[in-house]
Amino acid sequence: MTTTSLDAATLDLLTGSVRELFAALPAGGDLGPALDELGWAEVAAEDPATATTLLFTEQGRSLACTRALDAVLLAELDPVLPPARGTRAVLLPTPADGDEPSRHGSTLTGVLLAPPGTVDEIVVATTHLADGERSVQLDVHPAPVLAPLAHPVQGFDTAGWVTVSGARPSSPHERIPAGTAWTAAAAAAQRALAAEILGTCDAALRIAVRHASDRRQFGRPIAEFQAVRHRLAEGLVALEGARGVLRSAWEVTDDPGGAMWAAALAKLQAGRAQARIMRDVVQVHGAMGVSREGSVHRYVSRAAALDVLLGGRRLLAESMGTAMLLTAGIDPVARL
Amino acid sequence: MTGTVAPPAPGPTTLASDPEAYRAALRAYLGSEASLDRWRNRHHRTTEERITEHAVLMSGLHRGRWNRYGWPADAGGLGGDERHRAILYDELSAAGLPVPEPHLMLETLGPPLVRFAPELAAELLPRYLRGEEWWGQGFSEPEAGSDLAALRCRARRDGEDYVVSGQKLWTSHGATATRLMCLVRTGTAESRHRGLTMLLIDADTPGVSVRPIALASGHNELAEVFFDDARVPARRAVGEEGGGWTVAMYLLQFERAMYAWLSSTIALRRLRELREQVGARSTHDGDAVRFAEVYADIVALRARSAETVRRLASGATVGPEASIDKVLLATAETGLHDLARELLGGDFVLSAETHAAQWRADWWYSRASTIMGGSAEVQRTILADHVLSLPKETSA
Ligand SMILES: Cc1cc2nc3c(=O)[nH]c(=O)nc-3n(C[C@H](O)[C@H](O)[C@H](O)COP(=O)(O)OP(=O)(O)OC[C@H]3O[C@@H](n4cnc5c(N)ncnc54)[C@H](O)[C@@H]3O)c2cc1C
Repeated sequence: MTTTSLDAATLDLLTGSVRELFAALPAGGDLGPALDELGWAEVAAEDPATATTLLFTEQGRSLACTRALDAVLLAELDPVLPPARGTRAVLLPTPADGDEPSRHGSTLTGVLLAPPGTVDEIVVATTHLADGERSVQLDVHPAPVLAPLAHPVQGFDTAGWVTVSGARPSSPHERIPAGTAWTAAAAAAQRALAAEILGTCDAALRIAVRHASDRRQFGRPIAEFQAVRHRLAEGLVALEGARGVLRSAWEVTDDPGGAMWAAALAKLQAGRAQARIMRDVVQVHGAMGVSREGSVHRYVSRAAALDVLLGGRRLLAESMGTAMLLTAGIDPVARL
Repeated sequence: MTGTVAPPAPGPTTLASDPEAYRAALRAYLGSEASLDRWRNRHHRTTEERITEHAVLMSGLHRGRWNRYGWPADAGGLGGDERHRAILYDELSAAGLPVPEPHLMLETLGPPLVRFAPELAAELLPRYLRGEEWWGQGFSEPEAGSDLAALRCRARRDGEDYVVSGQKLWTSHGATATRLMCLVRTGTAESRHRGLTMLLIDADTPGVSVRPIALASGHNELAEVFFDDARVPARRAVGEEGGGWTVAMYLLQFERAMYAWLSSTIALRRLRELREQVGARSTHDGDAVRFAEVYADIVALRARSAETVRRLASGATVGPEASIDKVLLATAETGLHDLARELLGGDFVLSAETHAAQWRADWWYSRASTIMGGSAEVQRTILADHVLSLPKETSA
């Protein structure tokens, strides 16, 4: 998995096609058919690292809202689930729970990438504690059962997501032990989210570079001022550092424990990169950066929204730091 | 480590062409050789003592052939490429051993010598690899810091010699170095980077005098070197006369990339040691987050510099983007040592324990990570100019 099997020319071509695909996608549109037309399944099978990173980077760049992340999770979960009756989505843990499904209890909370009505079934992961043993169970609910609990997100970002909260539906469709499928799914989703966050960062940084070169004050482009240049250079460093960690995370997917740790680290570093880059991109735009006259606010709020899914940077740092200080060894993650 | 070193099982040619086989053999050796304990958890009172001790480790690694991989046979090596060198540093650090101090400058000075002066490399590099001598890098001067091309130390051609006069400053390992690779002016004072030449000058040449300089920690990490009509044979030119800048730019690729990787392996070892030192005591709110963030920055440096090492090994030229590695390095180094200072609390300031003394000395050295080899500001300017392609800077 360490080698990229796609050559540079193919990669360029694919990037172009995926970019066009996102540009043409209507709001709330379904990515699936367009990807099928591109023969995406084949590309993803040949080189999952490059394909996933490319797809989610472009999604981040374009600020598109799709259910691509559901597909990433389901690729790991479907094999342990009964055959789907129609289309499926996955209920993501509520941000306060990080990448851990909420405890089994009378209430149910989480986030959906699209309203329940757009799919037939919803997979709900739940953490069960019995005799000190923690296990994850997967409940498959018919989508309409969750509809009364769903509310459109009214937050920082208008990604079209839906929060779910309320009394847990009493009779699940099916209940299946997840085994290691949930942790594998969460790791895969964290790698995808890291790519998407870095896609928003890349786009925002490019916009800032262009703006700084065009915008003139004191008779010259503001990009000639060192304070501006150095902020943008630091943004590049943060972006490239986080990209490096993400590529490393893809190189250790064969070892489940290492893969989980590295995926969380990639998500953490992407989360930190977006915090830094978005702060500087806004500053370089002046008033334009904080108003709806410009476009950068959309990257800021999307990156923030992506950051809190499946482990925000603060939560991940807290849990990884605690693990290292208390028990775990210190994993070098990146190999030569 | 004398005599008992069994040669690695697979033959040298296999190891030279197969870095992973080299890694496995090296790891087995480092994990089983009891005499290496001499270098574990050692704190040295002076820089001179440390580098001398490290040179002994280096000579042992040389006898076991381990530090010869990654260097060409003509220069005393056994073949292989940058990956072998990078693996050596990684495995030493993972095994709780220091990377021998002479290797730091070897990474910077060795590659340009091999590339631009193969005869000198054949003659002199084997001694370096054996730990018998180490060298310094004479670039900076009192008037030429960030603005390296302003340097004034002159070399005038006189028959078969250059006659060198002037001064170098802040030379790492300068107080104990046998030779100095110096960037000197052979063109006119105004020629900037066009009139420079690289010379390899013996420190015991008549007319060369060296004065140690203590870092704020009190350790003589640096030196200043004076040249008073020192005669240096013309065959000691590294590259062509007037071609010094080209050599310096080639050298900087290794200084920025290999040094970054090497430092990342050491940083990870030090983070592990810090964890062991503070693990038992109660930590404060926010310590876990800080620890994870520093760790993440070290891994980012590793990930990025590993890719750069692989590119160097494939023969590619690493351009201005190496400044990304350099800034990541500075972030990781300052972050790690600030973390140690915070977590050790009062002990950092007051304790006479050797581990505290070590962190204090290292903390001072870590402050240099945003200064030496091109400051963080200089690196950001390189990135703004050549990677982001922003319009050139003007002063307001
Ligand atoms: C521990 C250590 C080891 C060293 N080892 C060696 C060695 O082995 N060989 C060697 O030749 N040299 C060595 N040096 C010297 C080092 O390379 C120089 O210190 C460095 O190039 C900076 O030069 P300076 O110290 O004169 O700082 P200055 O150039 O005076 O810079 C001072 C400050 O001004 C800033 N500044 C300068 N120019 C600009 C600009 N254009 N834009 C924005 N900010 C600017 C700098 O970033 C810095 O913050 C070492 C230094 C240290 C600290």
